[in-house]
Formats: sequence, C-alpha cells, structure tokens
Amino acid sequence: MNFELSQDHKVLQDSVRDFVVKEIKPLAMQTDEEHMIPDALVAKMGEMGLLGSYLPEEYGGAGMDMLSYAIVVEEVSKACGSSGVLISAHTSLASGPIYSFGTEAQKRKWLPALNSGKIIGCFLLTEPDAGSDCGAITTSFRRDGDEYVINGSKIFITNGGYLGTGVVFATSDKSLKHKGVSAFIIDLKSTGVVILKNEKKLGIRGSYTTAFALDNVRIPAENLLGVEGQGFKIAMDTLNGGRIGIASQALGIAEGAFELALAYSKERKQFGAPICDLQAIQFKLADMYAKIETAKLMTYKAACLKDAKKSYTMESALCKMLASEAATFVTKEAIQIHGGYGFICDYEVERMFRDAKITEIYEGTNEVQRVVISKLLLA
Amino acid sequence: MKILVCIKQVPDMESRFKPDSAGVWFSETDLAFRMNEYDEYAVEQAVRLKEQLGGEPELTVLSIGPDRVVEAMKKALAMGCDRGVQVQDPSVHLKDPWQIASIIAEFAGREKFDLIFTGLQSQDRGSAQVGVAVAEIINYACATTVVAFEYADGVVTVKRELEGGTKGIVQLRTPALVTCQLGLNVPRYPTLPNIMKAKKKEILVLPVAELLHEEARAVTASFYPRAKKGSGIVLEGDVGDQVEKLLGILKEKTTVLR
Repeated sequence: MNFELSQDHKVLQDSVRDFVVKEIKPLAMQTDEEHMIPDALVAKMGEMGLLGSYLPEEYGGAGMDMLSYAIVVEEVSKACGSSGVLISAHTSLASGPIYSFGTEAQKRKWLPALNSGKIIGCFLLTEPDAGSDCGAITTSFRRDGDEYVINGSKIFITNGGYLGTGVVFATSDKSLKHKGVSAFIIDLKSTGVVILKNEKKLGIRGSYTTAFALDNVRIPAENLLGVEGQGFKIAMDTLNGGRIGIASQALGIAEGAFELALAYSKERKQFGAPICDLQAIQFKLADMYAKIETAKLMTYKAACLKDAKKSYTMESALCKMLASEAATFVTKEAIQIHGGYGFICDYEVERMFRDAKITEIYEGTNEVQRVVISKLLLA
Repeated sequence: MKILVCIKQVPDMESRFKPDSAGVWFSETDLAFRMNEYDEYAVEQAVRLKEQLGGEPELTVLSIGPDRVVEAMKKALAMGCDRGVQVQDPSVHLKDPWQIASIIAEFAGREKFDLIFTGLQSQDRGSAQVGVAVAEIINYACATTVVAFEYADGVVTVKRELEGGTKGIVQLRTPALVTCQLGLNVPRYPTLPNIMKAKKKEILVLPVAELLHEEARAVTASFYPRAKKGSGIVLEGDVGDQVEKLLGILKEKTTVLR
C-alpha cells in the first residue's frame, strides 16, 4: 500500500495549483458576484487541458487517469467551487458517457470540441418531478424517419447556459419506468431548445443551473447513445463516475476553507494571543483536518479503483458522502473561527460555506448515497 | 543548435525551515519542493528561443540531486524541453557552488552546447555563483541578471538589470551562458497534454561520481534560523525625551542619519 502521489501526479498537482492561484483564485469573488465564470477564464481552463483530463489523446483529451482528474477538480475547487463543478459536470457527465457508450463516429464528432473546452458539456436528466427517482422522467422521444423528436422539460442542468453539447434522457413510454429510458447526444443550439431560466442559487453562483423546455426538438437518429432502452444504465453508470468529481469538488472546497481558517487562527489575536492558542479553536482545527483527510483518502481510493478497472460503486458513494459532509462541516467551522468577519461577504469563507451545501445534494443526494452503500452491504 | 538549461529543485519558500541534525543545512522532512523560480525564467526563455528557431534546437534540462529532482525536470520537459539529465546525488546539499559548477561544466564540456541558461541564483542557497563559474570553467561568454533576451545569427543581445533600475545592453557571441532574473518573462503553465507528452521524454541518469572531480572550496560551518524578533522598544517620557532617545537609536543602530 502506498499513499504517496506518483511523481507524475505531483507534477500535475503543482502545475494545476500554480494555474489556480494565478488565474482562478483572483476571479473567484467576481465569479460569485456576477453569477458567471468569465468566458476568458473558461477558455484558459480549456487551453490548460483541464476540460479533457482523463479522456484519451486520440479524442483531444490529455489521456490522464481518474486520479489526475480528481486532483484537477480538487485543486480548482480550493479556490472556486463554481469552476470546479463546471469541470466536473462537463467531464464526468457529458464527455464521460459519450466516451463510454458512444460509437467511434460519435466520439470523433463530439469529443474533440468538448475536450478542448471550445464547447461546454452538460447532462440533462433531472425534471421537475424526477430527481432521485430518475426512472420517473416524462420527457418523451419518438422516432420519425432519420430523426428522433424530443418533447419535455429539464431542470437544474449544470452548465446548461452555455448551450453546448448535452446528453439528454427521454422515455418512449413513461409507464415502462426506467426500462423505457434512452440517452441521446443533443446540440443545445437546435431549434426547439428553449432556456426557461438560469436559476439564482445559494451557492456555486458562477455555475449555470438551467431550466429547459424541449419543444419538438429534432435530433439525428445517429445521436442515439448506446441502444434504445439503455438510458437508465447509462445514467447510473455516469453518475457513479461523476460522484468522484463531486467528491473532489467538495474536498477542494473544504481544503480551501481550512487553509483560510488555519491562517486566520494564527493571525487573529484576542486576549493578547493568537486564537489558535485556545484549545476551543485547536479542537475545531483537528476535527476539520480529520474530516478532510478521511474524505481525501476515500476520494483518491475510488479514483484509483476506477483506474484499476475494479468495482468502485461503494467507494464512489462513500467518497461523495464523506467529502460533501466534510465540506459543509469544515466551511461552517471556518466561519466560526473567523467570527463576525466570517459572516461578511468580503471574506471568502462566506462564499465557501454557501458553495459547500449543494455537494450534499447533487449527483445523488447523500440519502441516495446511503441507500447505495447499505444496499451493497446487504446484497 | 544545442541548448542547456540548468535547474534546481528548492523547497517551497512558504515552508518552515528547521536546521538538520548536522546543523549545516535545513531538514527536508515534510518540505514540499518545486522548481527554483529563477530557473523557471531560464526554462521559459530557452523554450521561446527554440520556438523562435522553428523547433530546431535541442533543449536539454539538467538538474543535480536525489530522485525527487525529477519532478522539477518533468515540469521543464512539460514546458517544452526535449530531454532531461539527472546527475544523481543524494547529498547535493553538501556540495559548494564550485563543485556544482564543476559538475555542470564537466557535462557541458562534453556536449558542446551553443547556449546555456541558468537562473540568477537559487532561492534556498542564493550564492549566485554557479552560472558564472560554469561559464568561466568552460570559457564561455557570460551575462548575468538578464531581464530581456534576443538571439540572431549566433549573437545574443541581453538587457541586464543594474543597481537602482539602471539597465545595460550587452552583446555576446555564442557559445555563451546567461543567468536569468525576475522580469525576463512570464513562464508558461505546463498544460495537461504536455505533462503527458513529457512522460515519454528521455531522462538520462548519471551518477555524480562520473562528473565530479573537484574538492569543495567552501564548507558550511553552521546553519541556524534567524533570532526571534524582540518585542520592540517603547519610548517613554515627555515628547522632548522621546525625540532625543529616538535620534540616539537612529544614529547608533541605523544608517539613516549618517
């Protein structure tokens, strides 16, 4: 057993960290305030290769492994949770399923633009009445000659506002529940795709969360992903891998808040001494660090299992649950250590606290993670 | 054309340094390492020159030290160097600048480079001797503290930073060595695809004994952290007294009134 990163992973970590400190961190507050990651920054992330880390070089990716991807999302999220989820949703939820389930022609057509970041990807599964119960979707498809016609609505679509490439889920017959679901690659600039709104949110405000109406959207039959009726499997498989991305995002947010809280506890003086001399603060720091390290070990383990092509369903559920709960705990305590200043919007821990909450909810609520874990235990 | 870039891996400057048990260098336990900042300017300038010349020059990056220095070399390879040479030496920290320069000179003498780039100095030892000593040993023209660099037809033209912001323009005919200063350029980020490409580049490992034939000319006698800062002096008494005391301190302990 070896818990040290390889030299190549360290080189990656060091390079991404450098990029994050110089390019992303200075814009994190602006990204939150303006509800948008500056386009120039998205372009730079693309040039850096952050949007195609684990996709193979033949499709324009960097050809790295899942652990590298986890490191990328973690490092970016230390400074900006919105940028972290942009990368995670784009890579795991759009490029990921196209790579895993697409035909050679589909991969050649769609992946290079996604991997370079010229097009931003998203995953259109959730509907107003179908969240955790994704077999209950009602967005429908029907075949019409060489095309499929899609009708329905989708909500909470991360990265939707970029109108890039999506993987959309629809059913041929909702009474078939999950057996009727199919997945399609959709160009969101197609006629009939309407943005109803980009949501205003508690946190990760720089990330688009979009509601769509799909009104007789015609897509070429060749855009079917996998085979008809395979959609539910594609969704589950995709979310399985996606959890590693969200765990990495949550881990990064927690680490970012911890670094700030630790530094502040050494600077802030009360009663004539830095507050880190107080045991009340020391114990908080110990609890925060313990949760971060636990989450990190499990996240890296899940990534390594996926790299080794071993089963990782249990570990991806565990890491998503542990890391997101670490993020909400650590950001809350980071505010407490900052005292009144932590409650002020000029202090970054305030934003991190808001950014953390969603990680307990999206890509499978933590309640769903507990269902996955306990089902595997009792199977 | 053959170009050599010499880099050093140094501790992250935000680390907390503690003397090692021998008391002649810092303890490496728990330190994070990265490429010396000035060497990043050297790598960047060498890669830019390679690009300017249509990719023709072969760029070799050299580092001396234990296996961890390969991380810094891989970064240089991801930035655009072609091949790496690790002079393997687990006790590089005990070598003085003369020995380090001799090792590099021995290697450079064999390979006949047209141009050598080094950082102005290392962030940890900071002797600023290695580059100039290499140039002297192998009889290369040398310019230090370079903040701008141009190359055309075998002639290097550099801007040097002098005291008080004064600049000097110097021309050197190759073979030449330059030491790079802050402000020369903004080093590029190694992109993810380039980090992957760097994995396939050759790294030659040479044992230090093969290149080092010189004794140290200087040894570190001791190494200790700075004394803890005093708590400051509070001047008391009426204003006239305080001014007198302050003037006395400024005259005695500083140069501002001399």
